[in-house]
Amino acid sequence: MSQFKYHLKQTWRNIGQSWGTQVMTLFTVSLSVLIFSFFLLVYVNIQVAGDRFSDELRLTVYLDHEIVPEMQPQIRKKIMEFSEVENIVFVSRKDAFDRFKKLLGRDSDVLEDLGAEIMPPSVEVYPLRDLKHLTQLKEFSDYLATLPGAQKVQYGQGWVERFGHFTALIRLIVILSGILLIMATGFMVSYTIRLTVVAKEAELEILRLLGASSPYVQTPLLIEGLLQGILGSCLGIGLLYAIYTWVQGSMTGPGFMHLFELSFFSPLTAAAIILISIAMCTGGSLIAIRKYMRI
Amino acid sequence: MSETVAENRPFVDVVKVTKVYSPDIVALQDVSLSVDRGEMLFLTGMSGAGKSTLIKLLCCMDRPNKGLIEVAGRDTGKLKKAEIQELRQQIGIAYQDFKILPRHTVFQNVAMPMEILYKPGREIRDRVNELLDALQMSHKKDLPAGKLSRGEQQRVAIARAAANHPSLVLADEPTGNLDREVSTMVMDLFNTLNGEGCTIIIATHDSSIYEGTSHRIVKLEHGLFNC
Repeated sequence: MSQFKYHLKQTWRNIGQSWGTQVMTLFTVSLSVLIFSFFLLVYVNIQVAGDRFSDELRLTVYLDHEIVPEMQPQIRKKIMEFSEVENIVFVSRKDAFDRFKKLLGRDSDVLEDLGAEIMPPSVEVYPLRDLKHLTQLKEFSDYLATLPGAQKVQYGQGWVERFGHFTALIRLIVILSGILLIMATGFMVSYTIRLTVVAKEAELEILRLLGASSPYVQTPLLIEGLLQGILGSCLGIGLLYAIYTWVQGSMTGPGFMHLFELSFFSPLTAAAIILISIAMCTGGSLIAIRKYMRI
Repeated sequence: MSETVAENRPFVDVVKVTKVYSPDIVALQDVSLSVDRGEMLFLTGMSGAGKSTLIKLLCCMDRPNKGLIEVAGRDTGKLKKAEIQELRQQIGIAYQDFKILPRHTVFQNVAMPMEILYKPGREIRDRVNELLDALQMSHKKDLPAGKLSRGEQQRVAIARAAANHPSLVLADEPTGNLDREVSTMVMDLFNTLNGEGCTIIIATHDSSIYEGTSHRIVKLEHGLFNC
């Protein structure tokens, strides 16, 4: 226990002697963690939102004529030949007209002189989750277009494509920011330790002549890296949480189209980010020690 | 030390050691010397005779070109880095150029050898205060060592060498910057350590500290022992 106390005392001394550099390193580590965690949080929430939307995803096959009840089982069978689906709903012209009136609400009086014949009949196909992938949706859509009487198939192609591209972009940014996190934290901590070693060259030489062991000299520097990792990552996650709380309070809720319910990382994910940062910082220390110290 | 030295074996054994600095400066030539455990030895000679070189070889700061050096029964030429560090922990060295840290206080400088061995705080405090008292440096213990005079810095270096109750003390010109009164204090400290069983080798050209001594005196001249 007393050995550890010595190392802590020496670590504190080192930090005190180079506090300016320490603050810069802490700032860099926390900023890197913040950037990476921010994009990871965005990605996680987009995934959740995407899953929610896909629950309501449906392919609508517009027909040139209504499908009589006797034909419906045949159509169902044909659709199921491609894949199992969640549900199939046959929408008559009247059903469609009623829906449209309901959608218009108080403005539905514009439809007073119009009949249900203006609305096309349709078949609504609700796919299972495993069909929500873009390429599968596209194929399914192409297949449904071959149904007898099918004029057009709609499933929000534009939206799904854009959402897929956006998700891929965010994923790329998460990966790049993760690389940035690794490089920035490793480099900055390594550089800080190097500065410490250079600044303490005379002291290290004398320690060597007095018989100081490698652990005696190196352990405080490793602890320094460890502390920077802990403080920097906790600060980064803390800042992100503050931003998340502010966004949640200001921008979500009943007035925001009920689209999102933002969620923060699970404690396990936050702990993993912190642990990775600690590992990066400690690794940076170790590399600098091996490279620049002779003891 | 981790290996015990046989009773009849010298504590320090230098056997036909030669040290040449480039290009062709012969600092030591075929020197041999044995120092028994608990002995105090004065290594004398003019400046440039090779005294400091021998001290450096004994504490593994350098290696000889030829010959063998054994300290506490261990061949210093065969020691690994960690073993050299372990050996140095048991040797107290007062360097000619002091090698103290100017920004550290007097107390911190003297305490360093004990901190390296993770000694308890109380033990360090007691020992450091004892040494500073002996060398009349107590009143300056909280001053940065860089603010001291050369004579005071030398005393700090000597106190640091004695801090760990070492088995061997190597002192290179320990009274070079000291007046007679302080020189006497330093020699009293060395005598106390010697009385506790410490082997002491003092390299000096100050005859006043070894005149009339009962301890062995060996003289180096141009890298050779003049017996």
